[in-house]
Amino acid sequence: MPTVSMAVNGKDVSGEVEGRTLLVEFIRKNLRLTGTHVGCDTSQCGACVVHVNGRSVKSCTMLAVEAEGATVTTLEGLVKDGKMHPMQEAFRDQHGLQCGFCTPGMVMSTIDLLRVNPDPSEAEIRDWLEGNICRCTGYHNIVKAVQQVASGDAA
Amino acid sequence: MDMNGEKVINAPQALVWQALNDPDMLRASIPGCQELERTGENGFEATVKAKVGPVSAKFAGVVELLDINAPESYRISGEGKGGVAGFASGHADVKLIPDGDTTTLVYTVNAKVGGKLAQIGSRLIDSAAKKMANQFFTKFSENLEGYTPETSSKAAD
Amino acid sequence: MNDMLVGKPLKRKEDQRLLTGKGRYVDDIRRPGETYAVFVRSPIAHGIIKSIDKEAALAAPGVLGVFTGKDIQRDEWGSIPCGWVVTDRQGEPHKAVPHYALTPDRARYVGDHLAVVVAETYEQARDGAELVEIEFEELEPVVTLAMAMEGEQIHDLAPQNLCYDWELGSRAEIDAIFETAHHVTSLDLVNNRLVPNAMEPRAAIAEYDSGLDSYTLWSTSQNPHMLRWMLSGSVTGIPETKIRVIAPDVGGGFGMKIYCYPEETTCLWLSKVIDRPVRWTGDRSESFLADTHARDHLTTVDLAMDKDGTFLGMKIDTTANMGAYLSNYATSIPTYFYATLFAGCYKTPVIYSNVRAVFTNTSPVDAYRGAGRPEAAYLIERVVDVAAREMGMDPIDIRRRNFIKPEDFPYQTPVILTYDIGDYDASLDEALRMIDYDGFPARREEAKARGKLRGIGLACYIEACGVAPSQLIGKMGAGAGLWESGQIRFNATGTAFVLTGTHGHGQGHETTFGQIVADMFGIPIEDVELIHGDTSQVPMGMGTYGSRSLAVGGSAIVRAGEKVIEKGRKIAAHMLEASVIDIEFEQGLFSVTGTNKSVTIKEVAERAYVPLDYPEGLEPGLDETAFYDPGNFTYPAGTHICEVEIDPRTGVLEIVDWVAVDDFGTVINPMIVEGQIHGGLAQGIGQAIMENGVYDPESGQLITGSFMDYCMPRADDLPSFRVGYTCTPCTHNPLGAKGAGEAGCIAAPPTLINAIVNALDIRHIDMPATGEKLWRIARDKIAAQ
Ligand code: FES
Ligand code: FES
Repeated sequence: MPTVSMAVNGKDVSGEVEGRTLLVEFIRKNLRLTGTHVGCDTSQCGACVVHVNGRSVKSCTMLAVEAEGATVTTLEGLVKDGKMHPMQEAFRDQHGLQCGFCTPGMVMSTIDLLRVNPDPSEAEIRDWLEGNICRCTGYHNIVKAVQQVASGDAA
Repeated sequence: MDMNGEKVINAPQALVWQALNDPDMLRASIPGCQELERTGENGFEATVKAKVGPVSAKFAGVVELLDINAPESYRISGEGKGGVAGFASGHADVKLIPDGDTTTLVYTVNAKVGGKLAQIGSRLIDSAAKKMANQFFTKFSENLEGYTPETSSKAAD
Repeated sequence: MNDMLVGKPLKRKEDQRLLTGKGRYVDDIRRPGETYAVFVRSPIAHGIIKSIDKEAALAAPGVLGVFTGKDIQRDEWGSIPCGWVVTDRQGEPHKAVPHYALTPDRARYVGDHLAVVVAETYEQARDGAELVEIEFEELEPVVTLAMAMEGEQIHDLAPQNLCYDWELGSRAEIDAIFETAHHVTSLDLVNNRLVPNAMEPRAAIAEYDSGLDSYTLWSTSQNPHMLRWMLSGSVTGIPETKIRVIAPDVGGGFGMKIYCYPEETTCLWLSKVIDRPVRWTGDRSESFLADTHARDHLTTVDLAMDKDGTFLGMKIDTTANMGAYLSNYATSIPTYFYATLFAGCYKTPVIYSNVRAVFTNTSPVDAYRGAGRPEAAYLIERVVDVAAREMGMDPIDIRRRNFIKPEDFPYQTPVILTYDIGDYDASLDEALRMIDYDGFPARREEAKARGKLRGIGLACYIEACGVAPSQLIGKMGAGAGLWESGQIRFNATGTAFVLTGTHGHGQGHETTFGQIVADMFGIPIEDVELIHGDTSQVPMGMGTYGSRSLAVGGSAIVRAGEKVIEKGRKIAAHMLEASVIDIEFEQGLFSVTGTNKSVTIKEVAERAYVPLDYPEGLEPGLDETAFYDPGNFTYPAGTHICEVEIDPRTGVLEIVDWVAVDDFGTVINPMIVEGQIHGGLAQGIGQAIMENGVYDPESGQLITGSFMDYCMPRADDLPSFRVGYTCTPCTHNPLGAKGAGEAGCIAAPPTLINAIVNALDIRHIDMPATGEKLWRIARDKIAAQ
């Protein structure tokens, strides 16, 4: 079995994987970072989004071996010195999560949105979230959470 | 799923008929066909690799020739299993209408798919099947150029 | 003393862990020595199992065992039950067809459970499952409702595939009314099949402890006690004391996770056979095939009116799909959670309904957010709209004319239920104000100038929530009461555990129940910790569904709190050297009437566990449990109005405004309640214009079996919503709360369809009103002009 090495949430990690092992499986099973979720098997739901080299990626669409040498950040890695990332805070402030299952993907994905478009319109936020399905919130408060971070206001 | 069509082939009826009963010809013409071995008078075993949308799989199964009315028509019927990808089964009624040196091949296909193939690929099945049928007849016509029954091992009569 | 928390939009206690990746869902849990189960599912819709060849799979690397229905049957594990007996028109009970965890004889739908492979790793189990060879004698599948009664019989017990033919009301009486009515509006409706699709797929881990001869099951369940009860009482006979069910964080349920499923049942069985923990996590493809589906009705509704548009009688004829087997509550959904709501908000004096429930070779159908009530609201609010059109009346006027008025409560409907309170004009008025109803014609003209067809639609819905008064549902055939338990356990330091038999999976129970208890005792919410989802910790409870957690579970907690106060008064009396009748309690302080002598709840709690000087007869401890059985259902109601614009050239629909005005009675946390409305609306809008579970009518293959073909509402399909409230507090529970979980999902389909038919100026369109359908209608209209 091939060995794969990468930096995840600032730590160097490596592990043995099968060729067919997906990055999300490596993160959840090998690294026991269960904050990243799996909601589908057709790369449609976005629950598995992580950052690979700073960009949002559906970690179910990537093989673990493809992430060799990459820098990966998961939801867990956003917490710095015990403080949540402003996007995490905003999801709490705006009630942007209910069951929390889509949440890791939503948070990672919207952080990347603000990287490429720091001041998105509501339509642009909704458009960006096309690849993330939430069954609980109706997206209304997720949109508000992104707007909170973009505008720099805390609730 | 049902599908039908016809194709004019540049060869006389008798030759087309022989080719349609020749495992080598069929193997060379069926898209993705890796193996096709005769197992009985009118039976074959086949392995076909197919891809429908996001699902790709190797189907192993049996092919049978039924209702043989040489040299005019038969039904070719098959059933293949592709593991988790599911199954595909179906039959094609093939009729050869002679027209001098050419032959019009008329076919109606009825096919069924199940398992993952149906669940994930259903919206693509029709177009995939049409594409496969087209590829088959194009290839088949091409292969008929320079085809003599002798080149084949045991063409059915 | 803190400010009162009830009524405040407090941020949720659960969010910290869920937002930082520290939630614990079933698939996040690992057990030492665990093994993996993968199910071999039927690729065909209907067939007799001729043989199952396990040999190749057994020889595959890592495979520990391959098992079939015959193996489970040998251990005498029985059928998964349906717990609600519906009595048909002849007085016979519904056809209780068997439902085994692994089907021993026949495959009855694509995805049916034929065998299970257990292996050391997931990959090995999956590879092994591929090697199991099954031969069938294929049977003609019965796929559509229309063909169900003529098709091949699916169960020996159910001729014509009929589960029951049920009626409510008198046919003679309704016929007499229809004979003399001024006008009858008749409408045929499809209530489309839905796949619930909670984002977390179902999962289970079962572990057997041979020393204790007992089982632990981690399950994605909305009601762990009910699951334990069914597994123990119906399926296995194993005592409840030997089964512990834990439902940790659960990623959405929506009704679909209420039930006892074949997969977790099989894992429980396997855990003893293999004698190692066995885990199963479904993938989304399995969810589509083998989660319960929902709705799926064909209905004709007839509404009789006098010349002023006063409703005289309504007649409903429905064929409802049960799927291939009966899920736990399947029978009750298209009967007692459907036909009992046909009065809606109106004084229709006579109502007759006839429901035929049929089996088909499709996934079992059961409750999904709203469960019967969305189907009822849809047909009422659609037929009323069509009636207004046919009578040349304003849709607002026809509704107002027939509304049950505030002075009519309590109102006995002709369909069993008695509404306790409501004010339907009030929510209608508020919604009309919020949307600026009078300004609509101008907005329509403005849209027309842009080439868009603008429409407005409303629905005045009612639902029966807070399920359920046990005596009443007992008369309807329920096999269990639907009371709830609550326990408040003070610790010696003055913090409190709250234990509830309900289960939160997104609803924010830790926060809402925390607010109630913090207020009751005047303690900080941080000092209140909710425990739920573990049958070994929490008293027997009935779980979460039917918008019951607050109205029933919350009420049980209040009752437990009252008992704690009673007990606290005794301890305080002892501490303050007063008599118990002189002790009053307010905001966390026990004081002696008319004096300034008092002790805090914290001091009382400490003394409860340090009873060094207790007098005889005073019992230590401050820990009380209550069971609350509601006196009636609760009846949330409201008006939703939306405006849409359709581009006639493309069929593209845009929801341009949505106003939701609901009466949920007392609201504990408005932020959470709004979230519930938004989520419900998204699901209801999904049903109205996007979602559709479709089986191929010939082969019975599920052709909307992934997120590529089953159209889930995404962010760019939905608008932002505007929410308003009216309030008539529930009269019969201590909180005055009615429940808010399902309203959006109930109100949305008729609201949106009414707006669409208004925009297109047509009589009716079936759900889902997809862009393609809209485009065809608009195109034909343009062509006709
Ligand atoms: S799990 Fe990756 S997109 Fe659904
Ligand atoms: S919060 Fe439950 S799926 Fe988004």
